[in-house]
Amino acid sequence: MMEPLEMIKDSLNKQIYIKLRNDRELTGKLNAFDQHLNMILENAEETHTSVELDEETYEQVYKQNKRSMPMVFIRGDGVILLSSHTDH
Amino acid sequence: MLFFSYFKDLVGREVTVELKNDLALSGTLHSVDQYLNIKLENTRVVDQDKYPHMLSVRNCFIRGSVVRYVQLPPEGVDVELLHDATRREARGG
Amino acid sequence: MSSGLGLENLVDQTISVITNDGRNIVGILKGFDQATNIILDESHERVYSTKEGVQQLVLGLYIIRGDNISIVGELDEELDASLDLSLLRAHPLKPVIH
Repeated sequence: MMEPLEMIKDSLNKQIYIKLRNDRELTGKLNAFDQHLNMILENAEETHTSVELDEETYEQVYKQNKRSMPMVFIRGDGVILLSSHTDH
Repeated sequence: MLFFSYFKDLVGREVTVELKNDLALSGTLHSVDQYLNIKLENTRVVDQDKYPHMLSVRNCFIRGSVVRYVQLPPEGVDVELLHDATRREARGG
Repeated sequence: MSSGLGLENLVDQTISVITNDGRNIVGILKGFDQATNIILDESHERVYSTKEGVQQLVLGLYIIRGDNISIVGELDEELDASLDLSLLRAHPLKPVIH
């Protein structure tokens, strides 16, 4: 049986994809993590998806805001899932 | 303890703490504890026009549980050391 | 052994607290514990609005539960005195989303 934390170790120093709470996603190189899933990502890109309501048409418009972070610590309690597949 | 040690090594460096209420605070890392509570000195709010709520605050204590991200100096710490420390840590569970 | 960041250096000083529901409460720190529960004396809440200046609501002696606290700031009295709160316009702070 492989434990989940053991599996994440296989992704150390590699690109990973993280789905976070509040419609945020991150990709970047995993440099460190702990049992809480606190992590450090290098050269990370965050995609934040939000919905805007068009005032005239009342249609829901989905927006994606991206930003780059050279080195970022992520608090584990916001993490939903991790994947080694970064082609999202 | 991994990240507690990591942050202790970063004391004195400039960081930006992004909170779960979308507030972002830049400042000099003064200290950190086992809960990853953070004390910043020379605190500046990133979007000061939008958030003038902390104009008279220079030093602050940020509760670890309210942190979303901490933007770190890229040349902060040896990445190899982080990898090694992680491998040792995850084993102990 | 509980090595935590203490707020000892702020006892008897004026602090500015941001709570998880986005409120700003200013007062004198009288006590705290490891859970960051705090006792605030002579406290008032500063209510921010985009339509009028900052409103200050007198609260008195308060205990604020640690799990409701985002930030404890050391208020620089000189800086604060130089602010004209009646001219400040701002949206209220957003609540913390966990």
